[in-house]
This record gives sequence, C-alpha cells and structure tokens, in this order.
Amino acid sequence: MVAAAQRVWLGELVNAFAFIGAGGHHAGRDFFGGYCCLNDVAIAIQWLREVHGLGRVAILDTDAHHGDGTRDICGDDPTVLHVCLCGSDHVSADGTKVDVAVYRRCLEAAVRSDEVYLEAAEAAFAPRVRSFRPDLLIWYFGFDGHRGDYGDLGLTAACYQGLVGLTLALASQACGRRLLVVLGGGSRTDLATSLIPAIIARLADATG
Amino acid sequence: MVTPRTGIFYHPSFSQRSYLTVGRRLAAFPGALKELLALPQVILFESQPVSDELILKVHTPDLIRAVAQDPL
Repeated sequence: MVAAAQRVWLGELVNAFAFIGAGGHHAGRDFFGGYCCLNDVAIAIQWLREVHGLGRVAILDTDAHHGDGTRDICGDDPTVLHVCLCGSDHVSADGTKVDVAVYRRCLEAAVRSDEVYLEAAEAAFAPRVRSFRPDLLIWYFGFDGHRGDYGDLGLTAACYQGLVGLTLALASQACGRRLLVVLGGGSRTDLATSLIPAIIARLADATG
Repeated sequence: MVTPRTGIFYHPSFSQRSYLTVGRRLAAFPGALKELLALPQVILFESQPVSDELILKVHTPDLIRAVAQDPL
C-alpha cells in the first residue's frame, strides 16, 4: 500500500490497486478489530506526507461498515476528506469527515440498491472532492456489501463498476488522475475473483 | 513500447491468509490477474513490509504488541 501510494504520487504510475493482508479501516491509533490489524491507508498517507510532501487526500470508503479506525487517526486532520458510506449520517464541523447512512435506503430500494448506493456516493463525494481539491484520491473498496456477502446491502458488480467510474472521473477532474484503490472487506472467493479483475481492468482502460 | 501506468500490488501471502473472516478469499490470485498482466500498461509489484518506525508514527506500541499476540 505504501509503495503503491508512493509510485502513484511520484507519477511513476497513474493509478494502482493494492491488495492487502490484514490491513484495514477498523484499525485505529490504539485499537484494532474487524480483522484489520494496521491502518494501511493512514500509514501510506503518513509516509507521503513525511517523505514526499503530500498535501490533501480524499478518501471514499465504500466498505459496508464504518471506517472507525481511519476516522480515529485522521479525524482531527482537516487535510483529509473522509467520506464513508455506512449506517448513520454525520458531517464534521469543518465538513471534511462525512458519514452517509445507506443501510436502510439500500434495503428499502431492494432491486434498485445499486442505483441508490451509487447516487448516495456521488452526491456525498463528488461535490466535496471538487471543492476540497485533493492531491490524491483513495477509494477504499470493500465488497462485503455485495449480495450474499457478510455486509449484504443488495449490491452487485454493476455498483462497483459505477464506483470505479466515479472515482476515475473525479481523480481526473481533481488531482491529475492520481487514484489508489485499496481492497477492504469482503469474504467470498468467487466475488473477489470476479470483482477485483473487473475493477483493475477499468483502471487499466483509463490509462491505456 | 508502452510504459506501465497501472500498478497491482500483491503478495502471495495475501492468498493464504487475508482478511481472516474466511481466510482464503484471494485464493484465485494471482492467477485471476493473468489476462490483465498481459496488457502492456499493467505491471505487478510484490508488496513489501514497511518499517516499525513508520508504523509507530500511526499506531501506538500497545497496538503493535496486541496485534502480535492476537491468535488470529
């Protein structure tokens, strides 16, 4: 994750996909859980800041559960925009920490859950990215909200294709196409095997 | 010759013990990347560990100890 962020930041790559071992957004400064031992995103940001002078970072967190660890570490940092789609609504006083309640909306939408989720992500993230003007965009991609996985929100592959399209477009508009996609939650081998290559294919198409 | 523009960062250990809810969710990798890696603009890197010094700028020593002692 650190190496991926560094290569994207230095322009050696336009975008990257980072697999993980036991990193993740539930690891806070002094706590861990949800099978997230260390916060890979926060560590990468720390490295880019110290070594390469990174300024502002925008994170879209679409894992099914709240990114409590990332929020714990970056919560007081106004140079990190963290928009998390989860189970409750919240906007920090400075507007850089945002939670969007999607559980009920997706469950009520049933077969339209992809559409509802994508609309929520775009409405919460796109205008904030445009005004925040980040130097780097990170999409924390969990697939646990896929239909049949442990955070089932009724989502399908179409939703994740929509999200990669959204993040690619915003990275192009806001930060010179610098986009880092980081694997989050999700447990099913069949879903990982189909969803991840399809996302990387979109990243590659955008640079080919 | 096309310069690689999209990086994939992966380590074989991720396919053996990754996100411990199931543990082998990435069992099909890196094989599932075969077609992508044939593209000239895509390059695969093997993830490397970072230093304890860097981790300790984000996490407390107590967290590091707790993670090391966790039976998972």
